[in-house]
Amino acid sequence: MEAASEREELTLVARKPGFGLPTACPSCLPVYIYLKFAGVPFRLDFNLANPDSDQIPYVESGTYVAYNNEKGGVIESLKDDDVLDLDSELRSAPDFMSMRAMIGSWLEDALSYELWLGSDGSPAHKIYYTDLPWPLGKVLYLKQIQTVKQRLGITKENTERREAEIYRKATIAYGALSTRLGEEDFFFNRPSSLDAAFIGHALIVLQALPETSTLRNKLLQHDNLVQYAEKHKAQFVEASSSSSSASQFPSIPKRGSKPKSETKKERTPQEKTFRKRAKYFLIAQFVAVLLFLSIMGGASDDAEVEIDDDDEGFSYDE
Amino acid sequence: MEAPEQNPTNGGERDPQNRIGEDEEEEEEDSEAEDDDYEPEPPQPLSQEAQLRAHKARLTNLSRKLSSEQVPIRVHDVLVKGNTKTKDWVIEAELEDLKRAGSLQELLQAASLANFRLQQLGIFHSVNIVLDSGPKELPGTANVVVNVVEASNPLSGEIGYYTKPEARSSTVEGVLKFKNLLGYGDLWDTSFAYGWNQTSELSAGVFLPRFKSWATPLIVRVFLITQDWLKYTSYNERSMGLSLGLLSSRNHDLTYNLAWRTLADPSQMSSRPVRRQLGHGLSSALKYIFRFDRRNSPVRPTQGYAFVSTTQLGGLFPDSRSLRFLRQEIDLRYAVPLGFYHAALNFGMSAGVLFPWGRGFLEKPSSLPERFFLGGNSSPFSSLGGPTSLLGFGTRGVGPAEPRRQTDDESSERDFVGGDIAVTAFADLSFDLPFKWSRKSGIYGHVFACAGNLAKLSQNEFRNFSFQNFVKSYRSSVGAGIVVPTNIVRLEVNYCYVLRQFDFDRGKAGLRVSFSST
Repeated sequence: MEAASEREELTLVARKPGFGLPTACPSCLPVYIYLKFAGVPFRLDFNLANPDSDQIPYVESGTYVAYNNEKGGVIESLKDDDVLDLDSELRSAPDFMSMRAMIGSWLEDALSYELWLGSDGSPAHKIYYTDLPWPLGKVLYLKQIQTVKQRLGITKENTERREAEIYRKATIAYGALSTRLGEEDFFFNRPSSLDAAFIGHALIVLQALPETSTLRNKLLQHDNLVQYAEKHKAQFVEASSSSSSASQFPSIPKRGSKPKSETKKERTPQEKTFRKRAKYFLIAQFVAVLLFLSIMGGASDDAEVEIDDDDEGFSYDE
Repeated sequence: MEAPEQNPTNGGERDPQNRIGEDEEEEEEDSEAEDDDYEPEPPQPLSQEAQLRAHKARLTNLSRKLSSEQVPIRVHDVLVKGNTKTKDWVIEAELEDLKRAGSLQELLQAASLANFRLQQLGIFHSVNIVLDSGPKELPGTANVVVNVVEASNPLSGEIGYYTKPEARSSTVEGVLKFKNLLGYGDLWDTSFAYGWNQTSELSAGVFLPRFKSWATPLIVRVFLITQDWLKYTSYNERSMGLSLGLLSSRNHDLTYNLAWRTLADPSQMSSRPVRRQLGHGLSSALKYIFRFDRRNSPVRPTQGYAFVSTTQLGGLFPDSRSLRFLRQEIDLRYAVPLGFYHAALNFGMSAGVLFPWGRGFLEKPSSLPERFFLGGNSSPFSSLGGPTSLLGFGTRGVGPAEPRRQTDDESSERDFVGGDIAVTAFADLSFDLPFKWSRKSGIYGHVFACAGNLAKLSQNEFRNFSFQNFVKSYRSSVGAGIVVPTNIVRLEVNYCYVLRQFDFDRGKAGLRVSFSST
């Protein structure tokens, strides 16, 4: 059994490592980097059997869980629940939110496209499916390709047009980010979720995608972005567990917002008794019918093949 | 005047036509036509009487011969008539014994058995086996003519309440059957079943009574099963796959199951051990059941004993990433009659153990759907399904429970995560009720006591496992009730009182209704 202390500490559950990265999944790496920037010690656990789930990555501590598909993501959930917030003053900065949105839409789409549709599929396979038995991996991979096509609005007729559009947007995004960054260490002078999001994206583009990849070549045109990503990678890959400043766990509040219990509270006590009574009523009816049938002795058989008794006697006829 | 009947001197070998089984058309003896030709015209009743007497004399002679001595005979030819769709070899496969019969008694026995077997195939409307004399040049031979009438409507449907060996609980099932689509005696069926806990199953299968030269029938099913355990363990299970019945005889049962299983949690409230198991998995398992049932009645056992052992080995797949586990269950039953009021003492014990195998198996968690769960509405007294029932406790309401995700101030609920080792036992005294109507319809009463326990062994928990603690921490309940066996389902209405429960068990005294299949 896992020790109680293991349960209490902060754990990030992400997809498996690969390509020299602690986790090779595009939605998990930004969360990892964010936690590293915050200097918070955490365990890294892997989930290897759920490649198509949008619940991963998630952060847990005791009975508190922040899922990826709630409240806009793990980072946003941690901010909302007052667990961890690196962006407190930056929210008012005008281009912070728009840059976040640009990474979250244009660059994310471009990376999805490149991973699933642009390359031969081996990077995606390595990230998501190497721990599933072969038939399952194959079917889920094909299913995911269809899902990505649907999400990006790609059909047989508009493939080339959409591809050009996706790459164009990625180019614009890279250009804007490169201009914004300049030669600084961070986009906004201190580590923020924007840095985590971009570094996560950039490292996967640089290390997981093949050298022939269009997106990768576009990123390589911006030296400052590449150096920025490499520098931060060296920092957190080498600095393993102990960080410089805070080494205490963030306090997980016992009270958080309620996603599901509102619907539960709507089940008033009256409804509960009504349901219970209805159940007993139905059971009583059923029992009464069965008793009636057996006591009156008239339950009809439902045999489909009637096997008559063998007529072993000799029949003689005229 | 020529003798009307063709009654040769060795009367026993040329016997009047035997009809065995359901009669459709009777072949008239030639002799009767000749009878009418040659006899004078006395008033009708008289000639009939005379014929009757003559027949009777022949038959008495024959039956005397049959009972006193072996009448040697050889089967010359077997003819199959009436099958337009069914292949000849399917019918002839059931007639092997017939061809080897050496005497008339053996022939009659074999014919009756063959008739039964052909009817059992379920594809014929009627079967009629006629024994006729062989060609005149070969005395002492017989011809067998099998007349079959194929079912005109190959489609049939039924609704029933069953317990399938793969399923954990009983279900109400609607089945649509196609008989003999290919002429091989094949039975195709599609069924939809709905059971407790929103378990629903959609499946289709084919039953081949004979596949090439295999002795046992071949059963192939493809299925899609969904089970909803959100209320108890915060997950949904969806299983899609195929199952092959390899061997099925009275004592042995061997099946192979290949399934793609997905565990998901749409409520996103599951506890940590359950969260770790969500995802896809491939289960490729061989299941062997050894059954030995010497009780006088499976529905109301008053005498005898039974033993069932179920072994499941998962991971038989060339890919090492499929689910690897070994699951063993044992059931023992023993019933002792007490003599008065048709009463009997019925004892039973069930135990099961589960552990994963493969590299690093000591630290691996066992697969959640394979674990043992105690509690629910199933009744252990007549069924032999492993350690699953403990009356008085809610579904999955016993054993290790983990706290669920907490999102607000409310105390967090718990997920019952089951155990790797489970033992249940019961003692039950059944007796007739002192009313005449109850005795007529088979309704009886019973008083019982149940006990059971569940523990986790995987992930190095077995190091902390102590047998004394396991025995000391048993849960138990007592109760009394009435059992109503009907044609479709066995109904029990019990009042249960929980004597011992621990921690977070969901045991509650009260009236419970259980259904089980007959």
